[in-house]
Amino acid sequence: MFVFFSTCTVYLVLFGSTQADENSCGLSMTWLETVSVTMDVSKNGFHRDLVTTVDFGPGFPDGLEALLVHRLPSGIYIDQYQLASLKEDTGLQVLLGSAVDLEAPAHTSEEFLVLVYLALDQGILKATLPIHGRYHKPSLAGKRFELVEIKLPKLILRTDTCTQLISFPPYKMVDAPCTVHNLSICQWLEIQHLQEQDPVSLEIPLGDGSLVEPVCAGTLLVTLLCCVILSRSIWMHGVFLDNVIPI
Amino acid sequence: MASIMERVLSKLMNKNVLFTVSFLVRLVMVSFGVYQDRTMVVKYTDVDYHVFTDASKFITQGQSPYHRSTYRYTPLLAWILTPNVFLSHVFGKLLFITCDVLSGHLIYLILRQRGLSCEAACRVCSLWLLNPLPAGVSSRGNAESVLTALVLATLLCLELRQLPMAAILYGLAVHMKIYPVTYALPIALSLQRKENVEERGVGWWRRALGFPLRLLNKELFLFAGVAGVVFCGLTVLFYNMYGWDFLQETYLYHLTRRDIRHNFSPYFYMLYLTADSPWSLALGLAAFLPQALLLFLVSLAFHTDLALCCFLHTAIFVSFNKVCTSQYFLWYLCLFPLVLPRLTLSPKQGVKLLALWFAGQGIWLAPAYYLEFEGYNTFLLIWLAGLMFLIINSFIMVQIITHYKPSDTKQRLKAE
Repeated sequence: MFVFFSTCTVYLVLFGSTQADENSCGLSMTWLETVSVTMDVSKNGFHRDLVTTVDFGPGFPDGLEALLVHRLPSGIYIDQYQLASLKEDTGLQVLLGSAVDLEAPAHTSEEFLVLVYLALDQGILKATLPIHGRYHKPSLAGKRFELVEIKLPKLILRTDTCTQLISFPPYKMVDAPCTVHNLSICQWLEIQHLQEQDPVSLEIPLGDGSLVEPVCAGTLLVTLLCCVILSRSIWMHGVFLDNVIPI
Repeated sequence: MASIMERVLSKLMNKNVLFTVSFLVRLVMVSFGVYQDRTMVVKYTDVDYHVFTDASKFITQGQSPYHRSTYRYTPLLAWILTPNVFLSHVFGKLLFITCDVLSGHLIYLILRQRGLSCEAACRVCSLWLLNPLPAGVSSRGNAESVLTALVLATLLCLELRQLPMAAILYGLAVHMKIYPVTYALPIALSLQRKENVEERGVGWWRRALGFPLRLLNKELFLFAGVAGVVFCGLTVLFYNMYGWDFLQETYLYHLTRRDIRHNFSPYFYMLYLTADSPWSLALGLAAFLPQALLLFLVSLAFHTDLALCCFLHTAIFVSFNKVCTSQYFLWYLCLFPLVLPRLTLSPKQGVKLLALWFAGQGIWLAPAYYLEFEGYNTFLLIWLAGLMFLIINSFIMVQIITHYKPSDTKQRLKAE
């Protein structure tokens, strides 16, 4: 009996702890803890690049698929046609959660989901997403810029090698399209401990609503003036009723 | 060196050489564009060209071209560009550069019809044919040259009094883009029956009463009838094929367009700041009135010279419009060579006005660049630059009106 129990204990200690540390898909807890995500916005103005980098320790599992889930605010938009062209040029694989209106201002738009399928390129997992600022409502309080905040994306992982990803806490399971072609849904593991970085922000210039009266008055005055000057010139040099008014 | 230049220029002013060279130059630009698109990050081809091609792809799959977002043109364009999908991606660009050179040829024919010699007409034509702006626009894949060719062909047919052909081309032009509809009044006025000797003898009020009778004549009804049939026929056809989307995207969007993003229009900032205010409708109307009044006046004043009338019409329409992008400039630039021979401005004055026009654009482009690509808040500067551009455009138009001699060109050339 004692031998049986001790054998069981040894078995549990040896294999049980391995099971707790590594699930059957080759994703180990220790490696997952080395994973971190950083995000930055480059360029200036209305057209920017959102650069997301995934850092990890040694021992990158074979066949690992990484997916970034961005929830982008209504203050910016992504051009799906630009993405299609980038897919051909640089291999950027992006799936948009919903149709994006390219021309609507910020206050009539909503936040939207973007899925970025990462590929290992020379040992680095990185994605550069081109984003564009929307026009915002003019400010009434003299504010010259609107701060648009972009939260860190969620990182979800799965491996190609196995289809049955067993969940193990603290990481939870989520469903998402397997590939950018969106043909089937797979189970992915969401990496939780990444939300330490503050959201990145970008400044979008705003019109000055407090100037609405001088702007309207000035515009109408100048257009009226130009209209009067042109009318006078046309009146003086026009032919009108065929040879009736001599010039 | 100067004599070599002179010899090259005189050889170039041979009609066949000029047209061949202009076509070859555009062909080279298209080829370079293909190369640049394949190898560089910044693309040569305009976004619009991809919009047209995507819409054509939908058509080849039996669907509506309006499934392609931001496709705001007639389905006819997507239909014409279906060889982009079947034959080669570059077909559309070749079509557009051909229409561009054709526009140049139509300018040549109209100038000859108005009495210019072959060499003088070639010299004026070369302002369009060797101009990098229309060449660049059509080689990048914009469809503006199709419309300029249609408008110029309409004017040529009117000069030759080929009314049914002119009406068909006019109906087609209005179907493709709405702005030629403003030419309806000058064309109608130019088709009126001329007064005979007896009618001239009576008092002015009797002549004014006789005016509507002279206006509503057989030729006007023929023109209006044929153009109306073409336009309505195409509208009904495409409405049956594509429904409400067709009307919305091809016409209604452009009529009600309130683009609050920065553009050359003097009204841009006013419309941006008042976009959600209850005054927005009234201000839109206030912006429309100067445009409408000037177009009406120009029609009455210059309908005897259709080329000048249409040029001023379009220049005023574009300058006083609520939205103005650089593509719109081609709409009146294609008519400028027709006006040029009768201008009494000296070359020096002409160059100064041209420099002023470019300076006006430059003054706008600088703060616009800093807003869009550097993120500075330059809205106020863009607004002021827009107003400045309107003032400059108005000044240039006044100079053209003041220095225009509608007298017989033949006499002037004989005097020279």
